Amino acid sequence: MDDSKLMNDSTFMGVSREKIDWSPRIDYNKCNYCMECVEFCPHKVFEVRENEEQKLIVKNPNNCVVFCRACSKTCGLDALDFPDKGKTTAHIKLIRKETAKNE
Amino acid sequence: MNKSYAVLPCNGLDKCSGSISKEVAEMLSENGESEIICPVFYRIAETRYNKLATEKPLLVIDGCATRCASKLAVEKNLKISEKINITDEAKHNNIILGKSLRLNENELKLAKIIFEKLTTEEKLDTAAKDIFDFPMDINYEVYKKDKFVFRVPTNEGFYFNENDVWVYIIGNKARIGVTDYVQKSLSDIMYFTPASIGNEVEQFEDAGSIESGKAVFEIISPVSGRITAINNKIIESPELINQNPYEQGWIMEMELSDFINDMELLHDFESYFPVLKRKVDEFHG
Ligand code: SF4
Ligand code: SF4
Repeated sequence: MDDSKLMNDSTFMGVSREKIDWSPRIDYNKCNYCMECVEFCPHKVFEVRENEEQKLIVKNPNNCVVFCRACSKTCGLDALDFPDKGKTTAHIKLIRKETAKNE
Repeated sequence: MNKSYAVLPCNGLDKCSGSISKEVAEMLSENGESEIICPVFYRIAETRYNKLATEKPLLVIDGCATRCASKLAVEKNLKISEKINITDEAKHNNIILGKSLRLNENELKLAKIIFEKLTTEEKLDTAAKDIFDFPMDINYEVYKKDKFVFRVPTNEGFYFNENDVWVYIIGNKARIGVTDYVQKSLSDIMYFTPASIGNEVEQFEDAGSIESGKAVFEIISPVSGRITAINNKIIESPELINQNPYEQGWIMEMELSDFINDMELLHDFESYFPVLKRKVDEFHG
């Protein structure tokens, strides 16, 4: 699934994607820049920066598919972490309730 | 039991995990009837291996997430019967692979573990007892885009998560599968990795994956509960998911633990159909 374009207007369960904090966190103490995760993810979440000290960054966090954690399985060093799933679902439910009230 | 395979390793020489794929392939051929397909030679002279690749169950060994061996198998239209990924296995076994391209103690240990797993593993009995009272007549609403047709079931009891996985509910039981959007975006599905029967899964946790030459799709569970059955037919013939992911291409069944809660973050047909349309327009637009 190659959606390389930035989808700023996208939503998840009716909630604006920007309001949902879900994307991989790179632990730079563990990462050895093998770039397995970059090769794996088709959504252009990561960006490789050859000439910088941090050669890999999460460039487009909102491109990351909410609740996907697939790239972390390709990382042999466990350098990718994600927000708490339970907290994220609770947060989404809360925003939905608030918007329903305001309508 | 010593199984014999046609072994297709990626043989990648620029990564340690690729060298391990070669090591495992050699162990298999030295200690049994397995035969190796050389990926380099296969590319230029496919007749050399065509017979072997169809006579024995095909074992594909990928070193890393690039999945070169899997992609080669797809390119050559081979049926994959088993698959292993060295990087994943290293992780499962808590082995950190070295930077060196040569195999040292750790790498050889991993090769040995994988070899043993492949030669002794008995398949778990995943036989799905088809106890589920699934509707025989599924009605579909269709969204067409160019030459593609996307179906979504309209029957009551079907729900969808935003990750394009459907669930059909009867009482406290559920059947789960992917929607046409997933199946069409992946195109030819060649491998299904099931979750284990008996596993407890939370809503939005992954429960197995399917993959094509293009990508790997994690099946993100729309509901929480315990896995009670896996569709054995799609282990044998993953292409059933492409044919119809709602009927013969279903994935698994679960016993629900908290559907009232789960439902809050699910779509019914009415609200999923516009989501599907939007995704199709963005993706194929
Ligand atoms: S797979 Fe892990 S170690 Fe490799 S680049 Fe990604 S985060 Fe870093
Ligand atoms: S979690 Fe999934 S979508 Fe997000 S970066 Fe990883 S592979 Fe890509």
